[in-house]
Amino acid sequence: MSSTATKPPQSQLSTALARDRLGVAAVVFFVMSAAAPLTVVAGVVPTGIAVTELTSISIAFVAVAVVLAIFAVGYVAMARHIANAGAFYAYISQGLGRPVGVGASWVALLAYNMFQIAAYGGFGAIASPLFDKWFGLDIQWWVLALVVWALTAVLGVRDVAVNGKVLATLLVAEIIVVVVFSIADLFSPNFQASSAPIDVSSLAGAGSGALLAMAITGFVGFEQSVVFSEESRDPRRTVPRATYIAISLIAVLYGFAAWAMISAAGDDVIGRAGTEGPDLFFNVASDQLGGRAVDLGYALFLTSLIAAMISFHNIIARYMFSLGREGVLPRAFGRTVPGTGAPKNGSLIQSALGLTVIVIYAVAGWDPLVNLFFWGGSGGGIGVLLLITLTSFAVINYFVRNPAGEDFWHRLGAPVLGSLALVVMSYLALSNIATLFGVEEGSKPTWVVPLAFAVLLVAGIAWALILRSSNPQVYAGIGLGARSASSVGGFSAALASTDDKDNQ
Amino acid sequence: MTASAQLPLADDLFLTAHDTVKGKCLLSPATLGLGMASALIGELVLWRRVDVVDGKIQIIDDRPTGDPAATAVLDQLLREGHHRAVRDWISFLATGVATDLVERRLARSALVQRQEKRGLFGAKVSFVPSDSMIAGWPATRIRTFIGRGELLDIPDLVLAGLILATGLDQHVFFTLEARGRGQLFDQLKRRLPAMLLELVGQAEAAVGDAVMARRA
Repeated sequence: MSSTATKPPQSQLSTALARDRLGVAAVVFFVMSAAAPLTVVAGVVPTGIAVTELTSISIAFVAVAVVLAIFAVGYVAMARHIANAGAFYAYISQGLGRPVGVGASWVALLAYNMFQIAAYGGFGAIASPLFDKWFGLDIQWWVLALVVWALTAVLGVRDVAVNGKVLATLLVAEIIVVVVFSIADLFSPNFQASSAPIDVSSLAGAGSGALLAMAITGFVGFEQSVVFSEESRDPRRTVPRATYIAISLIAVLYGFAAWAMISAAGDDVIGRAGTEGPDLFFNVASDQLGGRAVDLGYALFLTSLIAAMISFHNIIARYMFSLGREGVLPRAFGRTVPGTGAPKNGSLIQSALGLTVIVIYAVAGWDPLVNLFFWGGSGGGIGVLLLITLTSFAVINYFVRNPAGEDFWHRLGAPVLGSLALVVMSYLALSNIATLFGVEEGSKPTWVVPLAFAVLLVAGIAWALILRSSNPQVYAGIGLGARSASSVGGFSAALASTDDKDNQ
Repeated sequence: MTASAQLPLADDLFLTAHDTVKGKCLLSPATLGLGMASALIGELVLWRRVDVVDGKIQIIDDRPTGDPAATAVLDQLLREGHHRAVRDWISFLATGVATDLVERRLARSALVQRQEKRGLFGAKVSFVPSDSMIAGWPATRIRTFIGRGELLDIPDLVLAGLILATGLDQHVFFTLEARGRGQLFDQLKRRLPAMLLELVGQAEAAVGDAVMARRA
């Protein structure tokens, strides 16, 4: 006896599952919101110009976009074949072995955390003068940083994602502001089409690595597109298209905006970037647009930073959740709050880390804009660049062993080309790190950041090797994430309990 | 079968997923749906209507079970013979189909009642246990058996597995001490048949999946 009287001709299962699937636009929106256009154009670019004294940033955006697009060919292809797509370490585990995968997962955690915490510093530094200007309130940067930190922490632990429509509206508004301000630049009396931002020779010159590292910061988030491989309407088309569209949009938008800003800033753009900082983007357009528009731009700048914080916080918490489920991180991270599904413990740890760093910077009196926002962001950018490079090799190796289902270009052509370009980029970025940070060659930050990544990579590899002998079941599941039936949640942990007494 | 009044698997899980004091659902609707979906498939396995092998559902007997909820799922399985993956079925049934079937079945036996909450954004309809005692029943039964060191029957083992898979254990097993926990885990490992083990594993993966994709 059936409880459903009517029998529709088409498959209910297929239609019901298809209803939840995402299209290209939804995926592009998601990726772009993590990339935070105004944060990059008004925050990273002027600060970067001031710190590195380099101006050929537009061409760097284009160059990075080309390399990432080539990399993405193999990346999205492999995403169709593996579980837990969206996490670099999943690719690396399956392409280069589980130990390197665990190392990469720890590097990724550091890199993403650097972004996250950089955003707190950026918000404080940028909002503090604005509060003075708007409300006549003299508030320390770290007070404001702590306010947004608290907001992120509360939303994170309750897993309140910013509503998709709100996020999309903010993103569109941000893009409009970037475009309108950049077009206004073109009509500025100071405007003189500058060739410096698009000087191709700069990519081979001194400081090219610093430019590339700065540019890649603007693209971080694009890798999240593949999270939706299994959720998209047409896995073979939706995700690749969305990825290429996002990369091109970012390159064109950032490249154009940076060019317009530099062209309109007059002769001494480096000097102005140094004194005006993030205000530069708004100042060069202000005489064309007036104070109202500039205030609106600033307001969106702040919301852009907040949206980026919340989205990175969610990415980090889920990354830790996935690692906790696998048993690579303590199992407690693999738990969620039952009522909301929030990956609570990962969120709490991220917040604790953020608080610690804000407090250290506040006590030490370090500059939140250069030393936290820009160093953190570009240092995180280098981390992501290294991860992308490793992933690119993982893609080659994976398809050498599992060639079925993809043509030559997707399996080998693009990944080999991409890997070569990425190795060159990584080398340049690491060797130019002093220029990137605007410090003396050999000074502390130039070796602390690469060393931190190296230490985590090696420690991760060592931990994986320990797991291999002490807990083979956990080792076998590395890289499969929460998306595989062999993951270590409450039930699987119960099944594995004789091998491992410490589960709670 | 155990001495206490044992309900169908999905009903027991539904009750366990509700607060014993206020009757509020302890799981997000998405996770509850995944639990209900897996439990209904589990019921069909217990009825010996389907097998779960290598991630696929195989129908071994197409006779109705006599229970409307499980039979509705069986009918759907028969109609859509080309779809066999357990994960697809769990995802599909979790879209509201399973929760709806279970709520209706429980409402027929008057164990849950319709509750309408008027809020800022219109009325929200939900089904809550009609008696706070009932909600605590299944979990208490499992805890009692474990406490006495007795063996759980297969349906209760699946229930315990799904409690762990959905994260409900944080509410209902936190009073178990290490020894009881060890005993429960031991029983799950030794006595849960392979098919049901696989089903619960798939349920847990689906729950993790939902968290990663921000659907939970």
